[in-house]
Amino acid sequence: MPSLHPNPSAEHVNSPHSLLPFLQSQSQTTLTRLYQRPSSCLSIFRLLVPLQQQIVMNLLWLESAIASSTMAAWVVREGKKDYDTALSTLFRLHILSTSPIKLALNPTFKTSFRQALTGGGTTGSFGVPAPKDDKHPPMGIDGLDGYALERWETILHYMVSSGTGQNSMRPSKDVLYLLQRSGLMASPHGSLQITSAGFQFLLHSPHAQLWDLLLQYLRMAEERGMDLVEVLSFLFMLSTMELGREYSTEGMNGTQTAALTQKAMLNDLRDYGLLWQRKPSSRRFYPTRLATTLTSSSPPLPTSTGPSSGPKEGFIVLETNYRIYAYTDNPLQTAVLNLFVALKYRFPNLVVGSITRDSVKKALGNGISAEQIISYLIAHAHPQMRKNNPLLPVTVQDQIRLWELEKNRLKSQEGYLYTAFTSPADYELVLNYAKQLDVVVWENAAKRCFFGSLDGHANIKGFIERRTGGNA
Amino acid sequence: MDDDSKGSHLSVVVDLSPLYWARSALPAPENEFPLTLAAFLAQLLAFLNAHVACAHENTLAVFGAFPGKSILLYASSAPIPDGLAPDTNSANAYPPFNAVDAAVVQRITAELDALPEQDEEAPSALVGALAKALCYVNRFTLPPSANSKAQANGFHPGVLPDPRILVLSVSPDLATSYIPVMNAIFSAQKLKATIDVCQIYGPNTVFLQQAAHLTGGSYIFLERRDALLQYLIMSFLPPPAIRRTLSVPTQEQVDFRAACFCHKRIIDIGFVCSVCLSIFCAPLPVCTTCR
Repeated sequence: MPSLHPNPSAEHVNSPHSLLPFLQSQSQTTLTRLYQRPSSCLSIFRLLVPLQQQIVMNLLWLESAIASSTMAAWVVREGKKDYDTALSTLFRLHILSTSPIKLALNPTFKTSFRQALTGGGTTGSFGVPAPKDDKHPPMGIDGLDGYALERWETILHYMVSSGTGQNSMRPSKDVLYLLQRSGLMASPHGSLQITSAGFQFLLHSPHAQLWDLLLQYLRMAEERGMDLVEVLSFLFMLSTMELGREYSTEGMNGTQTAALTQKAMLNDLRDYGLLWQRKPSSRRFYPTRLATTLTSSSPPLPTSTGPSSGPKEGFIVLETNYRIYAYTDNPLQTAVLNLFVALKYRFPNLVVGSITRDSVKKALGNGISAEQIISYLIAHAHPQMRKNNPLLPVTVQDQIRLWELEKNRLKSQEGYLYTAFTSPADYELVLNYAKQLDVVVWENAAKRCFFGSLDGHANIKGFIERRTGGNA
Repeated sequence: MDDDSKGSHLSVVVDLSPLYWARSALPAPENEFPLTLAAFLAQLLAFLNAHVACAHENTLAVFGAFPGKSILLYASSAPIPDGLAPDTNSANAYPPFNAVDAAVVQRITAELDALPEQDEEAPSALVGALAKALCYVNRFTLPPSANSKAQANGFHPGVLPDPRILVLSVSPDLATSYIPVMNAIFSAQKLKATIDVCQIYGPNTVFLQQAAHLTGGSYIFLERRDALLQYLIMSFLPPPAIRRTLSVPTQEQVDFRAACFCHKRIIDIGFVCSVCLSIFCAPLPVCTTCR
């Protein structure tokens, strides 16, 4: 029986940020242009894992390149592998200049990052704060949080309810297009329907969701003829801004095309709730918490429960009898729970349901995995639940995994069936040869046949031919 | 959230004794590499910014040890009072960096200006600052249940994984501070806080060496003072998790000498009370500590 308790967290620790592979695929010129801005350097630096950060820092204030062996002398023997991986990522990001024997930072990156740390320069890459506005009262942080939450939940809620036929508020056309392009929704029958990727998306943390969409946005930006460097710099600038401060759109653009790109981005990001403007034509904007926490791991949304003041973090209580109590009045959370829970009652602040075989099967059928259900339950567990060890009742966890295994009772594999051996000796000989190649999937000595996988066929065929050829 | 996302905490204790900084700034015949307070502060700020830059969640506290008093110069958990808030509005700097730099520089300037004119300077309150740094760490590592007040303030309880304290010292050992330093070391061990020490000027200090050794930190005697920033970044920036991969220098030899309780002198051979373990420089028939 396969292990029922894989360790899901082990892979996520120290896994690189989802943006980094995208950056690595960019050309050196693009990246070097990006590194001209101190704010971009700072944001990218934050996305690196701690070891890479330390390597960059060690090299940052050195005037000349140092020999790789000097740097490697600091590495503990057990850490050699991590160190090499870290270096290769930095090379691919072109933060380190490519030279095998000497280590040095990309000169552009070095200049800009030094500037970011010490201040100064005239790049204005950290956003131009707007002068005090006398006509309007400033927008409070609560207002911004509310706005960001409302925009973001509109998108998610639209996705959830698309499958159920209920009507909910439609996000703007651009958002819908983005959802469709990213494969989270599809329109097989004319109306937009959530896909299995979309269901999985719903169970991710808001932070991962945000970056998923932004990555897709970046890929689309190239097609729309927007300058990728401008788009990225704008995002990174947002991420270094201060929550609750008003910024001006003036003075941050250079060329004509850059100005156009920024204008388009202001519109798009307003739709996603990353920034707030009094009116679309306004020359000032406020970044919201979604934007300012882009490069951190603090929660991007103030509370995941609705506008009313619910519990700050977890809201789900799961009992060993598969009953689930969710202290929420938020339609989005209820809808997400509905993906894998059979809901029974609804009270003003509480939803009660139970996890059943059918409800989990339905979720599995939608493409959600057992692991995702469990990690969602863990992520949103009520503080009361956190006293338990393990956090979720083991019976429920195991059962959900077992239900998933039920789906996988049959496994198909392509290959060849070898039959009609003339003698047991022949059979044994070929079978042993196949076993040495490790390609035997199934064997039956009584019927003198065995099944070999596809990639072993050429070898086995050759072996049999050589044998028969030798006999003849 | 997993532990990685919590960021790390760094408390920096800066020795700001005007006397020793003045000596440290003297040109070539006195010092091979003169280092003025202003140059030191510039490099310190770059180092502090580097720590803040590493992760959004990293927290920082800076304590200053002035002659006879110690104060908190900056703490990332406390909002900066309006009077000290930087008149930032600058598009060229990251706001949190601005806040650290402005708060540290302004408070140091204000304190140094307010120092009374005296012929003899009081020794700098390094131990006081160290104790305050430990109190600060302790406040945020209390178990969640006992910390409902801090929770209400918006701080997550127990959010300081592997806290570190960095002591930047310029004064020599103060023999009277032996017992307070040892007490600080023991509480640091209990809090699982690492004490790193960088002796920027003057001779090696016995007590701080022991502090670093006993808490698993690293002690560095700054030889090339023109390369201060590189020393700081390479040895004191990496949190304990990184130190397992990239090693940091540790002392080969630690001076374990103690100070006697009777005259507060550092002694090579002492006499220890068999009951209370008090240390004396001369044999006494009756222990004065426990009688």
